[in-house]
Amino acid sequence: MKTCLAQRRKDAKHAAAISNLECRKSGASRHHGFQIRLRVARLAGIALCAFAALRDTHADDTPPCCRKALDAGKPTDKSLYLLESKWTSDVGKTIPLSVLRGRPQIIAMFFTHCEYACPILVEELKNIERKLPPEVLAKVDFLLVSMDTKRDTPAELAAFRGKRDLARGRWTLLRGEADDVRELAALLGINYAEDSRGQFAHTNMITLLNAEGEIAFQLTGLKQEPASLLVAIEKAARAAQR
Amino acid sequence: MVLIQAGSYRPLFRSEKEPKTIDVAAFYLDARPVTNGEFFEFVRAKPQWQRSQVKRLFADKAYLQRWAGDLALPAPADESAQQPAVFVSWFAAKAYCAWKGRRLPSTVEWERAAGAGFTVADGSKDTEFTGAILRWYSTPSSEKLPHAGSGRPNFFGARDLHGLIWEWTGDFNSVLVSGEARGDTDLDRGLFCGAGALGARDTGNFPAFMRFGMRSSLRAGYTIHNLGFRAAKDL
Repeated sequence: MKTCLAQRRKDAKHAAAISNLECRKSGASRHHGFQIRLRVARLAGIALCAFAALRDTHADDTPPCCRKALDAGKPTDKSLYLLESKWTSDVGKTIPLSVLRGRPQIIAMFFTHCEYACPILVEELKNIERKLPPEVLAKVDFLLVSMDTKRDTPAELAAFRGKRDLARGRWTLLRGEADDVRELAALLGINYAEDSRGQFAHTNMITLLNAEGEIAFQLTGLKQEPASLLVAIEKAARAAQR
Repeated sequence: MVLIQAGSYRPLFRSEKEPKTIDVAAFYLDARPVTNGEFFEFVRAKPQWQRSQVKRLFADKAYLQRWAGDLALPAPADESAQQPAVFVSWFAAKAYCAWKGRRLPSTVEWERAAGAGFTVADGSKDTEFTGAILRWYSTPSSEKLPHAGSGRPNFFGARDLHGLIWEWTGDFNSVLVSGEARGDTDLDRGLFCGAGALGARDTGNFPAFMRFGMRSSLRAGYTIHNLGFRAAKDL
């Protein structure tokens, strides 16, 4: 917080200098100019502080989908990273799943308009996030893949991220084409069907992929005791390359 | 391929609020299941689908297990070339269809085609047809499979939708019943989102229950001695 305040004072000075310049250009009165300076400085300080606070909790704020792909040779015979399908993240980037290689992924399939189980499922993932020790948390990612190919646009997913407060540096939200979603679900063993109201009936399942993209552990059903999953995550994190 | 005219399908599992029937657009469907001979051409063109090359992610260990080698049909080859390709995973079936510029039929499309009787579009009104199906479902599958296409054609001209093998559908994993309650309506709400909303409609359609039970037990990498596929195509 101390550094944050110092930063804020520095930022305020900088912002004041800028607004000063603007005032001189526009020829506004000195008093008016001072008011503006103060307000700009305050806003800039608050914004930067908030940003700094965010950075404090996530050492690396780069979304998992935007990291440089790990050059680790061919995926193993059981790796989901053999899939060539392309996915679009809520930050608007189009990627193959293999860019997530290198860190264990904790995966669930969901859809943002879900009225029943998905909010619980996402909350369970967040619970796992809260329970993991920091050194493990620094080495794992969370991945949500939508099965609602019609409505879940990147913008919808981004709104969902905001609403559920999913850390940018750790959570990936993806949408894909219908065939690719069906294929990924088949690999994870998730069944789903859409009804006439646009709700999806689907298997509730949390899957852990190890750093190589192989299924390491699966938890089926809501409100399951996550202890064994936590152990599996820690084990997978120890073996992760990054 | 044969034309499956546009029509409607009465789904087996639907909630009370769902419509009783689903409209199915017209599509083309292979008149018979894909044969070993045809699958051989595929693995020759796409070596990654040969028995020793396939990734474990996409097919289990039994993949093409009766073949004599990567490019050798089960013996005797002139006989097996006519038999339906079995021990193929969903991924392999899908890749074959894509290679042919086709796709797997959806479950709804497959059921629509398979619902036709020998002489009428609505098989439930064809007692000769329903009797024939029940006889097959009550007979254990034989060690030696008949040739693909040897069955009696249905109303649309499609053969062997019943009576030869089970077949993959593109969305086989859209069946929402748990492994412990196959074909049951008493589902665990914790396992499936919206599970409480699903219930069986046509409880007298025993063969349809069998198919849904079969599909619900499958994983995409499974390969089985009596499970094959046929391709579909849009008009």
